[in-house]
Amino acid sequence: MSFLTPVFLLGALAVALPVLFHLIRRATRRRTPFSSLMFLTPSPPRLTQRSRLEHILLLLLRCAVVGLLALVFARPFFRKAVPDTSPSAARRLVVLVDTSASMRRANLWTAAREQAAAIVRQAAPADQVAVFTFDRQVSPLVSFQQWTAAGPGQRVALVTGKLAALSPGWSATYLGQALIQAAETLADAGGKQALGPGRIFLISDLQEGCRLEPLQGYEWPRNVQVSVQPLKSRPGSNASLQLVSEPDDIAPQAAPTIRVRVTNAADSRRDQFRVGWAQPDGRAFAGTPTEVYVPPGQSRVVPLPLPRGSGILPASVGGQTAAPAHSPDTGAPPSAGKAPASDQEFAPAHYAGPDRILLQGDDEDFDNTVFVVPPETQRLSVLYCGSGPEKDTAQPLYFLRRAFQETRRQAVQLVVRQPAADARLNPALAALSAADLQQPTLLVVADPLPEALADALRSQVVAGKTALFVLRSGAPATTLAAVLGLDRLALEEAAPRNYAILGEIEFRHPLFAPFADPRFNDFSKIHFWKYRRLDAGAIPSARILARFDSGDPALIEVSLGRGRVLILTSGWQPEDSQLALSTKFVPLLYAMLEQSGAPAPLPTQYHVGDLIPLPQAGPGDKSSPVVRAPDGSMIELPAGQTNFSSTLAPGIYTLASAGPPRRYAVNLDAAESRTAPLPADELERLGVPLAPQDAAIALDAQRKVRLQDAELENRQRLWRLCLIVALGVLLVETWVAAKMVRAKVT
Amino acid sequence: MFDVPTPRSAHPPRYGVQAASLIDPRTLMSIRNLELRARVVVEGFWSGLHRSPYHGFSVEFTEYRQYSPDDDPRYLDWRVFARSDRYFIKKFEDETNLRCYVLSDRSRSMAYGSTGCTKADYAATLAATLTYFLYMQGDAVGVLTFDQEIRDYLPARHRTGHLRQVMLALEKPALGQGTSLAAPLERIVEIVRKRSLMILISDFLAPIERLESHLVALSACGHEVIVFQVLDQAELDLSFDEPSMFEDAESGRTFFIDPRSARKEYRRKLQAHCQSLQTACQRLGIACERLTTDRPLELALFGFLRRRMQHKRGPRRMARGSAGL
Repeated sequence: MSFLTPVFLLGALAVALPVLFHLIRRATRRRTPFSSLMFLTPSPPRLTQRSRLEHILLLLLRCAVVGLLALVFARPFFRKAVPDTSPSAARRLVVLVDTSASMRRANLWTAAREQAAAIVRQAAPADQVAVFTFDRQVSPLVSFQQWTAAGPGQRVALVTGKLAALSPGWSATYLGQALIQAAETLADAGGKQALGPGRIFLISDLQEGCRLEPLQGYEWPRNVQVSVQPLKSRPGSNASLQLVSEPDDIAPQAAPTIRVRVTNAADSRRDQFRVGWAQPDGRAFAGTPTEVYVPPGQSRVVPLPLPRGSGILPASVGGQTAAPAHSPDTGAPPSAGKAPASDQEFAPAHYAGPDRILLQGDDEDFDNTVFVVPPETQRLSVLYCGSGPEKDTAQPLYFLRRAFQETRRQAVQLVVRQPAADARLNPALAALSAADLQQPTLLVVADPLPEALADALRSQVVAGKTALFVLRSGAPATTLAAVLGLDRLALEEAAPRNYAILGEIEFRHPLFAPFADPRFNDFSKIHFWKYRRLDAGAIPSARILARFDSGDPALIEVSLGRGRVLILTSGWQPEDSQLALSTKFVPLLYAMLEQSGAPAPLPTQYHVGDLIPLPQAGPGDKSSPVVRAPDGSMIELPAGQTNFSSTLAPGIYTLASAGPPRRYAVNLDAAESRTAPLPADELERLGVPLAPQDAAIALDAQRKVRLQDAELENRQRLWRLCLIVALGVLLVETWVAAKMVRAKVT
Repeated sequence: MFDVPTPRSAHPPRYGVQAASLIDPRTLMSIRNLELRARVVVEGFWSGLHRSPYHGFSVEFTEYRQYSPDDDPRYLDWRVFARSDRYFIKKFEDETNLRCYVLSDRSRSMAYGSTGCTKADYAATLAATLTYFLYMQGDAVGVLTFDQEIRDYLPARHRTGHLRQVMLALEKPALGQGTSLAAPLERIVEIVRKRSLMILISDFLAPIERLESHLVALSACGHEVIVFQVLDQAELDLSFDEPSMFEDAESGRTFFIDPRSARKEYRRKLQAHCQSLQTACQRLGIACERLTTDRPLELALFGFLRRRMQHKRGPRRMARGSAGL
């Protein structure tokens, strides 16, 4: 028998009272009249001199009443065995261990290993356990199969042994992705056989910088819960260092400084730090550091001038220094007025000098170093073939020269040639030769070319170049036809009534893709006064990228071999249109330049785990690139590999290939420096089904048991029976007592 | 007509009186009329005297003597002859004009009784007996009943109907809430100027610290004082077996008393109390007799007379009606 309120059973101790009353011979109801009590003092009640009780039957009845009343209040019931409706007892457990860079702090990794070991020890023999580590990616450490294959006595050692061989990496924390993957793993494992509920044990420091975006809107599988095992680092101050990227439009002649951001954690207790260039070992400053005051929770940008003697070394070819890297902003190429220099002499420049910046003054040093490799300036060449003075605003050249501005990332050299040497046209301009067509990646033709040059142009286009024909008149029709391989190409002058506008644009084409956004796709403000009409159908493999509102093609793309020919049926100078004066002109030209196969400027700053795109190997280059990692190890890549993925640690990676060596700086993800703990309810807010804590589980189980007991007692209601019996016994006691009194009286 | 109960007594003969001639108080109390009850006692007393071997005692003391052939028949008391069918010569003495006051305690403590006869009944009967006896002798008798204050007062008279009034006063139930001996004694001292016989009947279950001073006052006024302490046998022995809640008759207080454990101490205190009363009376030359309610009243009367005789011992007064006068 069980009791709903067993505390009331203590009332059964009141049974002692009738016993006591029966032992005390005290006729409290008996009264004896006496004349005077002046010679008497009250006597204390005394027990009967006889040790045995009197009126045993009456005593037993009274004791029975007291006991039954105590039983009534204790609410007895018979507990029945409740069938276990829960699913199979075997559980599926996934242990997720954080190995991101933030786990390198203090004692976190040791605590993580201990937590993981404790969890696997508590697993029942029937449970299936898998252990994963995660940072930017999820890596299986012990699979379900490995767990099952190991004997029950070896499983814990298997897990602890593998964890002992691990250490935290340098990657960011992609927590949301890891949780989803673990949940999918549990869902897949549960679908194969009848298993119990799934549980994910998350062992992590749960810092603010962990990425949780994938959890938004994720639908969790049923019967999967997450048990969070947060790790707490020792209290301390942490400040981090990030490189501030410069915009591309900064002029290369700006003062050479590197800007870094110093961010102080919100829970930091320090606010004075030192920042400066570091020695190659990264432990001491190379020079005088800069003192920085950053209050907790704030950040400061600190400009650091490049150390003396450092800077961007000029490009060189065969060891000989070529033209200076920085092009003067005179609007004229460096070689203007001089003998034309081969553009092939320009080789990528590279940075020489301190490559790391150090921060000191906080307690955690895992994020106190930033590696710096300033970006290289990409040098491109564009050929313009046309007549007319350069400073003539009615000529396309005037606008073309001003469209390509040199930046820190990219320097476009405009090579201007006239179709033939003609002193009447422009004695300063050289005549176009076939050799001029080889270097530039984009060839802009505004005037007709001699037949030989047209053929040479065609060859270059077929080899992969891009040629842009600007039909400011119908004159280049012959050249165009020769380049396209046509016998003839009819061009007629079109004169719109007032003006024509672009009415149909292929925004899916890469040329116009940058303008696809509704904010930029309005070309109706560009008026065309004149254009040339041609039959695009007569041109094989022609694709019309833009049409005028009249339906006539405005921009045609023709694929020719490995290159292409772009035909702009109107000039961009003011005489023909407002294109050169519009905001679309420069982006359109840069899009053409990019589509012409010019290599995009390669960034030099990466984060741990990023893929570093490798420069394209030249034709005939069969060598295998080798990457030197920051720890000095050499990683040989297969020939033709286009990217490098083993950026496992921060530092300088040097790519040695057929070309000049390239350096890349790999740094810690800035999010890893946000070491403040995640808000407690953040995971729950994102819909993560958190498992209740052990104490809550125990309480919940107890509550369930109490509810079941209450329901059982409510159905059985044994207290009523006890109450009826108690009343019956009371009646019997009353009758027996009255009978005794009557007997005594008589 | 009334039936005189058959005299019987368990007490040993005293004063030469056969036990069989004494009336058991319980039996006596069955006579509801107080005057009749008193008469029975007195007449019983007389009968005892007649058969008592102590003639001398009775002759010298009593106011009657049995007729002898040489006596003057003018002095025959025909009333006595009518009652007893015997001839007695009534003696007339000037000294028999006695004024007597009976002071009877009517408090509730007197209402206690364990033998079927309460102290109040016994005291009333004793008072009535003495009153009757004295009245028959021609003495003036008055009565004063009291509890915590004076209840009834009748001055000493010897008139027709006065005896009846005295009996009526004595018949009133004992209902007093307390006992105060000071008030009646003070009152008597104030009222009675002439020398009188004061018979004080009470259980004296009250503080008696001031009693002695009042008795002194009485004695100083020339009064003769006789004290009768009436107690119940159960009061003397605390002869109870079962513990119970003892209730005080006057105050109503209740105590849980275990008689077995309280008896010894109770007796000691009661004895000390009674002894202090005796001592106080002895110091003042006052006769003090303790009576229990199971003692026949004849013996009380005998005791009374004996003390009277002791009191009058001195020059013998000449009695009228004696031969040769």
